[in-house]
Amino acid sequence: MTMQEKLGRWFKRLTVKKVVFGSLVYGWLLLMMAIVFTPVLWMVSAAFTDATQLAQVPVIPKISEWSLVNYKELFTEKSGSDQVVSDYLKAFFTTFMIAATNTVLVVALSSLVGFAFSRYRFKGKKKVLLSMMGLQMFPSFMGMLALFMFFRQFGLLNNPFALTLIYVAGSIPYNTFIVRGFMRNIPKSLDEAAAIDGATNLQVMIKIIIPLAVPIMGFIAVNAFMQPWLDYILPSVIMPQRDTVAIWLFRFMDPLGHEYDPIKFMSGALFLAVPIMMVQIYMQRYLIYGLTQGADKG
Amino acid sequence: MDEQNKSGNIFKRVLSFLYHKVIVTIFHFLVSIPIAIGTFIKNLGASIWYFLKNLPGWIVYFLKNLPRWIWYFLKNLPRWTWNFLKNLYRWIRNFLEFLVIKIYSFFKYLVLKFVYFFINIYRAFREEPKAAFKGLSSFFLPGLGQARNKQWYKALPIFLVLLFFLVIEFATGSYMYALSGEIGDFPAAAGEPFYFFRDYGGFFTKGIWGLVTLGELVLGDMYRGETIVIYDKIFTWKSADNSQVLLGEGVIAFSMLLLLASVWYFSVKDAFHTHIDYVKTNKIEEYKDFVRRVWDDFFAYIIIIPAVILILFFTLIPFLFSFLVAFTNWTGRVSLGEQLFKWNGFGTFRLILESADWLKFFGDVLIWTVFYALMSSVTVYVLGFIQALIIESKYVVFKKFFRVMLIIPWAIPALISLMLFRNVFADNAGLFNQLLANAGLTDALRGFLTDIGLVGQASEGNILWLTGKENGMLAKSIIIIVNLWIGYPYFMMLTTGVLGTIPMSLYEAADIDGATDFQKFRFITFPWVLRATAPVIITTFTFNFNNFGAIYFLSGGGPGYPNDQIPESVRVLGAAPGQTDILISWIYKLTFQSTVNQYNLASVYSILIFVFIGLVAVYNLSKLKSFWEED
Repeated sequence: MTMQEKLGRWFKRLTVKKVVFGSLVYGWLLLMMAIVFTPVLWMVSAAFTDATQLAQVPVIPKISEWSLVNYKELFTEKSGSDQVVSDYLKAFFTTFMIAATNTVLVVALSSLVGFAFSRYRFKGKKKVLLSMMGLQMFPSFMGMLALFMFFRQFGLLNNPFALTLIYVAGSIPYNTFIVRGFMRNIPKSLDEAAAIDGATNLQVMIKIIIPLAVPIMGFIAVNAFMQPWLDYILPSVIMPQRDTVAIWLFRFMDPLGHEYDPIKFMSGALFLAVPIMMVQIYMQRYLIYGLTQGADKG
Repeated sequence: MDEQNKSGNIFKRVLSFLYHKVIVTIFHFLVSIPIAIGTFIKNLGASIWYFLKNLPGWIVYFLKNLPRWIWYFLKNLPRWTWNFLKNLYRWIRNFLEFLVIKIYSFFKYLVLKFVYFFINIYRAFREEPKAAFKGLSSFFLPGLGQARNKQWYKALPIFLVLLFFLVIEFATGSYMYALSGEIGDFPAAAGEPFYFFRDYGGFFTKGIWGLVTLGELVLGDMYRGETIVIYDKIFTWKSADNSQVLLGEGVIAFSMLLLLASVWYFSVKDAFHTHIDYVKTNKIEEYKDFVRRVWDDFFAYIIIIPAVILILFFTLIPFLFSFLVAFTNWTGRVSLGEQLFKWNGFGTFRLILESADWLKFFGDVLIWTVFYALMSSVTVYVLGFIQALIIESKYVVFKKFFRVMLIIPWAIPALISLMLFRNVFADNAGLFNQLLANAGLTDALRGFLTDIGLVGQASEGNILWLTGKENGMLAKSIIIIVNLWIGYPYFMMLTTGVLGTIPMSLYEAADIDGATDFQKFRFITFPWVLRATAPVIITTFTFNFNNFGAIYFLSGGGPGYPNDQIPESVRVLGAAPGQTDILISWIYKLTFQSTVNQYNLASVYSILIFVFIGLVAVYNLSKLKSFWEED
C-alpha cells in the first residue's frame, strides 16, 4: 500500500466521534502533562540558576542562562577540614551504604520467612502472621523514642548499620506477606518431585523455589533500596550527628533553621531524584507485577 | 565479469532503488497531502453538518429524558441510602461480633490453659511419676532432666543458656561489694528503706526492680547517710535514678527473662516426654538422629529465627516500651535525674477523654485524619483509573510515551516532591503565586476562593496557601490536591496492569450482543477492575491514615489555630495541633518537638490509633479468603 493510500484511508476513517474524542483525549493528556511538568521544570530551572532567591528563578528553564554554580558548591563544600568529599557526597554515600545493606538483608530474610510461611505448616503460624501485620499499625514514632534511648544506652547512635537493622525489622512483615503470596502460586509438585529425588529442605529452597521467585525478589529489592533515600524521621532521631541525604535536604527547607536555602535544596534534590527516577521507571514492570500480585492474592 | 562492470551495476541498482522507493514515496506523499486535506475538509464539513443536524434531536432527547432520569434517581435514592446504611450497619455489627468473639475466646483459652497446666502436672505425677521427677529436676536446674535422660547434647546447650543469663547478671551487678561489707559501712538509718537490688543488682534484677518502681531516689535525697548525686563512679548506688533508663532496661530485662522462662519450660517438658518415649520404645535418641530430625521437622522455625530476633529487638521491645509510657506521667517537664516519673494507671487516658479542651482537638484532628485518608485514597483511585482508561483507549497513539511521562510524579521520591510543593505554594516566592501575579489573576482567584469559603484572609497581597491561619480549609484542599499529584500514577499503573488481565472474550461476547462502549465499561471493565483493586484501596486508606510525610513535609501541620481558639490548658503545654495536622503528625510533634515533649499523651494517642487501625486491618485480613485457606 502506498503512503498516499494509507493517508487517504486514515483521513477517511476520521469521523466526528473520533475527532471530538481524540481532541478531548489529547487535550486532557496535554493538560495533565503540563500539570505534571510545570513544578518539575521549575525545579530543574532552580537547580541550574545562579539566583539566590526563589523569586528570581524563571518558570521554564532558559538553557542559555544556565549556570553550574549550585553544583560546584554541592560537590566542594565541606564542613570539616579532614573530610575527603563534600558534605553532600558524604551524606549520599552514607545513604547508599544503608540502602545497599538494607536491600541485601531484606531480600535474604524476607525470602526465608516467606518461604517458611508459604511451604510449611507449623504451630502458631497464623498467629505470628496476624500479629506481625497488626503490630505494623502502631505508629512507629513511639518505637523510635525507645530505640533512641536503647541506642544511646548501648552506644549505637550515629551507626548506619544499626539504623539499617531497624529498617529491616520494620519491612519484614509486609514483604513476608508479598513473598508468601507469590510463592504459594509455585506448584508444590516441584518440591515433592525434588524431595523424592532426595533433596533436603534447604536444597529445595535454594535450588528450586528461590530461582522461581526472582521477579518478586526484584520488587522487594527495589522497594528496600528506595526506602532509606526517602526517610527523614528515623535517621534524624537515630543519627543526630551523621547526615543521610534526606536530613541534608530537609535542613535547607526548614524555614526556622538558619540554613534555609530552597535553591540549594532544589539542586541537591534534583541530583538525587534523577537516578532514582531512572531506576523506578526502569523497574516499573517489576513493580506493576508486584502490585497486581498483591492485589490478586492479598 | 570485471570489477568495473560489477560496481557500476551496484551503483545503478542503488540509484534505481533510491528513485523507486524513496523519491517516489516522497513524491506520492507530497501529492497526497492536498488530497488528504481535501478529504478531511470534505469529511469535516459532512461531520459538522451531521453534528448540527442532529444537535436539536439530541437536545430534545436529553430534555425529554431528563425528568425520567431525575425521577429514577430520586426514586432509587432512598433505596440506595438504605442499602448503604444497611451494609454499614452489617459491617460494624460483624466487626464488633468478631471482636467480642475473639476477645472471649482468647480469655477462655488463657483460663483453660492455666487450669489445665496444673491438672496436667498433677496427672503427670500420679500416672508417670518417674518421668515427672525427671521433669522436676529440669525445673530446679534446666538441663538436669536431659542429663538424667543421658541426652548430653540437649543438656549442655540448655545449661549454657542459663549460664549465659547468670554471667550477665553477675558481671553487671556488684554483689562483690555487697559481700565485702559495704552495706555495713553505709547502713540505712532505722525506719529508712533499703533497696538491695537497686544498689547491687545486676542487669536482670535491677531491671525488674526499675520496671516495678521506676526509681526511688533523685538528686539531693539522703540515702544510707549519703547525699545522692547525678553520677558517682565509685559508689554507683549514690547516682540518682533515671526513670527513663530504668523503664527501658526493665523492658529489655523482662523480655529476655521471658525467653529464659520459655527455654526453662521447654526443658521441663522435654525431660518428661523423652522419658515417656524411652519407656515406650526402650531407645534413647542418638545425637545424629536428633540433629536430622530437628533440621527436617523444624526447618520452618530455624529459617525464621533471624527475622524473629530482629523483630523482637527492633519492633516488639520498643513497642512494649512506648505502650508502657502511656501508663506513666512522663512528659518533657520531668527533668530526669532531679525528678522521677511514676506509674499513673489510666490517668492520661482519663485526661484526654474527660477534658473538653483535649477532646475538642482530638475530635478535630480525628475528623480531619479520617477525611484526609478517605479523600486522598478515593481521589487518587478515581484519577488513576480515568487516566489509565484514557491512555489505554483507542484514540491514543503514543501509549508508551504518555504512560512513561505521566508516571513521573510517582518516580520522583515522595519526600522531594512534597518539599518541592512546599516551595510551589510558598507565600511570596512560590511558583504558584508568581504565575498568578504574572497573569494578574491573584485578586480574581482570591475573590473566588473567598466566595466559596476557602479563604478568610484580609483582601491584600499574595494568597497564603499553606500558612494563613484563616485559610485552614485552603491548606487542607492543597494537601489533598498535592497528594493527588503524587499518588495517581500508582493507581494508573495498577489499573493498567489489571486492564491487561481482562479476557478479550468478554468484550467479544458483548460485541455480539450489541453492547455500546459505555455498557462495556459499565458491566465488564469497571466491575473487573474494582474487584481486583478493592484490597489495595483499603491498604491505601490505612497507609494514608498514617501518612506522616504528606503532612509534615508539605505544610508542617500548619497553619496553626488562631490564638483565641486554643484553650489555656493546651496552650501552656504548647501541645496544640496545627489545622492540617493528622493524628500521626500531631503525635510526632507531641513526642519530638522539644518545646512540647508530652510523651505520655503521644503514647496514648498512638495506642488509640493502633487499636482503631490495627483492628480494622486485622479484621479485613481475616476476612480475606486467601489468608485462611490452607496451603
